[in-house]
Amino acid sequence: MKRVWCGAALAVALASSGLAAVQPSGGEALALLEQAVEAKPDDLRAANDYRMAVIQAAQYDRALAFFQRLAIEHAGSANLHLSYGFEYVDKIPAAGAITQVILANNALGEFTKSIELQPTWIGLYTRGNSYLFWPRIFGRTQLGVNDLEAALKMQRAERKRGYHVRVFVALGDGYWKMDDPAKATATWTEGLAEFPDSAPLKLRLSKPGDELKVLLDSVYDSSKRVDTSLTDLWSEP
Amino acid sequence: MKRLAFALAAALSVLVAGAVRGPLARAEGNGPMTFEEIAAKAGVNTPHHVRNFNGPGADVLRMFTSGGASAAVGDYDNDGLDDLFVTDSDNGTTCHLYHNNGNLTFTDVTARAGVGGGNDPLSIVSDALWFDYDNDGWRDLLVVRFGTPLLYHNEHDGTFKNVTARSGLNGFANTIAAIAFDYDNDGRLDLLFGNYFKPVNLLNLKDPHVLPNDLDQAVNGGGVTLWHSLGNGRFEDVTKKAGLGGHTGWTLDVGHGDFDNDGLQDIYLACDYGTDRIFFNNGDGTFRDATEQSIGFDTKKGMNVDVGDYDNDGWLDIYVTNITDEYMKECNMLWHNNADGTFTDVSRETGTCETLWGWSAKFGDYDNDGWLDLFVVNGLRSGNAENYIPVLVNMITRPGVDFTDVNSWPDIGKMTWSGYQKKKLFRNLDGHTFKEIAAASGVDNDLDGRGIAVSDFDNDGRLDFFQTNANQTPLLYHNTAAGAGHWLEVKLVGTRSNRDAIGARVTVTAGAKRMIREVNGGNGYAGQSSQRLHFGLGADAQIAPLHIRWPSGTEQDVTVPVGRITTIMEPGRH
Repeated sequence: MKRVWCGAALAVALASSGLAAVQPSGGEALALLEQAVEAKPDDLRAANDYRMAVIQAAQYDRALAFFQRLAIEHAGSANLHLSYGFEYVDKIPAAGAITQVILANNALGEFTKSIELQPTWIGLYTRGNSYLFWPRIFGRTQLGVNDLEAALKMQRAERKRGYHVRVFVALGDGYWKMDDPAKATATWTEGLAEFPDSAPLKLRLSKPGDELKVLLDSVYDSSKRVDTSLTDLWSEP
Repeated sequence: MKRLAFALAAALSVLVAGAVRGPLARAEGNGPMTFEEIAAKAGVNTPHHVRNFNGPGADVLRMFTSGGASAAVGDYDNDGLDDLFVTDSDNGTTCHLYHNNGNLTFTDVTARAGVGGGNDPLSIVSDALWFDYDNDGWRDLLVVRFGTPLLYHNEHDGTFKNVTARSGLNGFANTIAAIAFDYDNDGRLDLLFGNYFKPVNLLNLKDPHVLPNDLDQAVNGGGVTLWHSLGNGRFEDVTKKAGLGGHTGWTLDVGHGDFDNDGLQDIYLACDYGTDRIFFNNGDGTFRDATEQSIGFDTKKGMNVDVGDYDNDGWLDIYVTNITDEYMKECNMLWHNNADGTFTDVSRETGTCETLWGWSAKFGDYDNDGWLDLFVVNGLRSGNAENYIPVLVNMITRPGVDFTDVNSWPDIGKMTWSGYQKKKLFRNLDGHTFKEIAAASGVDNDLDGRGIAVSDFDNDGRLDFFQTNANQTPLLYHNTAAGAGHWLEVKLVGTRSNRDAIGARVTVTAGAKRMIREVNGGNGYAGQSSQRLHFGLGADAQIAPLHIRWPSGTEQDVTVPVGRITTIMEPGRH
């Protein structure tokens, strides 16, 4: 049953990447998706399709080796480093608690390389959001807030997109984690004014302090799988 | 004279000791659970000292070996009162034997008994165990070390004789845990050692590559050693022959029990830096590794194994502590026995998941309501305001770092690492749900806990416990619960089985509850609890005859009084 489901997921990934005409096995399907990424290493969408298939197949080490090789060959590709970083994040739920820390740190390293090559909204949002998963004793929450504030500035200069709501959510969370609930509430409220249908914002604004802590502890529980799918980015024109 | 007394006891078969407590205002076990800390008053508050090392990596090795604060409960002089042996670990320090005076005070009799030694320049005392290795009716003492173990024979007069040399227990290991059990049901107690580091002497380190090769899946630890008793005071290493030689994990605790109700003792190994292991007893002197199918492989930091039937379904469950802190979310494991050779972790569902940096945890019906509660100690190192974790993570995330090298690890100095943690007392409400009540019960201390030894030290039918702490003074919690329920305790004496009756199972039926307990030989990290079996009965002052299944296979039904401690001898050969 698991294999059928896995096969179905791969089929979806292949369909998404335009490779659906082929009917390959699991390993062959991943190879085809890797070919697509190799052909366009800077293409977030091709890498996203591949990563989603990798999650279903639980072939994280294969994918990390693949991205590592590609990142050496295409060291100047900002989006490739972003995809490589996401691959580390994708493996986290499958790893032990200490390995999770190493993976999360490696992911941050790749996100940073991506931003250094080209500071993009998705790069800043991704790294900023990642910092929020680190317990406060590591002193990385403020770094996350800095990235998210930069992402907010960037999105204000762009045409409004549905996925921009994510920055309001995460930035408010960052302020809350920095013990500034007033600023958190103001950020979530501002976000809700721009995105009145946002369930995550409504949820945060509806919770009293203790319940909000439980909610955010759950959201930033590093042992849970983080949705790293980027389909939002190309779901609207 | 001694033989005559023994014969009389055998003739009577059932001896009754202790006294019925006064009428209870509310003998249901649902009143407040309260404890009073009396270690100083009782005279058992000598502090433990962690071993200090010299040379490069000294600070790191001190940290890695800070687990040797342990306690072992046993009635060494057969006066009906549980005595206490407490370990120390620094070079030149003395372990302590405390004789129970019966009035909640103890007398330090270490010097006379001759059992204080063990900490020398090349050995670190780490755990201790009472067990009657020669079946003479007097409990002997085993002291295990990062080094070779020490075996003391009980001379029946309050003194002990070091018999290590002729015992065959001569293998060097970095042993951190030990249990005594009769794995082959031959009537003689065998020993299982849990070894943390691989067998190199940390106090004379030639090669610094001794630390875990992976922090979630390490395979370069000390594994276990199984010592088979030959019956003449000698033991032989049968680890490989028994099928346990393939385990090379960082064993922190070992536990035993008849997990599949086949009359044979099975074992569970809690391992740091990687997967725990469960082995089922084949009945032919060998064990089979059933980890994959029974519990699955894990990457957690297993610290403790205690065994008990928390839901009274007639199958022994297992509780394992791991690390769940701000920076690591492992969750403990309460392995519910599915009665088919598999277990399901229900720690989240039962509310027993989070105990911070866990160490020992002990089942015990502390309110006598018929459900096993859990006391859990925690805390690694309470130092100054600086936190070691960010320093450590800098090392862990350094590309290409060699974890095995002592020199890779940053010194901790006076820093805190998972320190000042409040202890947890989980009250079992109904066999499915636990409620954390440590603060209300007065046991939420924040010392760096390690071991727990549970006993009814004053024979009043309520379970007390002794808590050891690394490099700190221990605590003795006297159970003062006013509304505790009815109870009974039984001391089993084997005749065809091993004299300590380790592995014997008693079933008590009280009202709608059917409870099982097995005599265990040292389950739980760094703490051996009383070998007397304690049953809380709640409001039930009447019970059916209790049923005993002895390790020899003998089955026995015995009527015993409620509110008393009863000694029961195994029928048959004396």
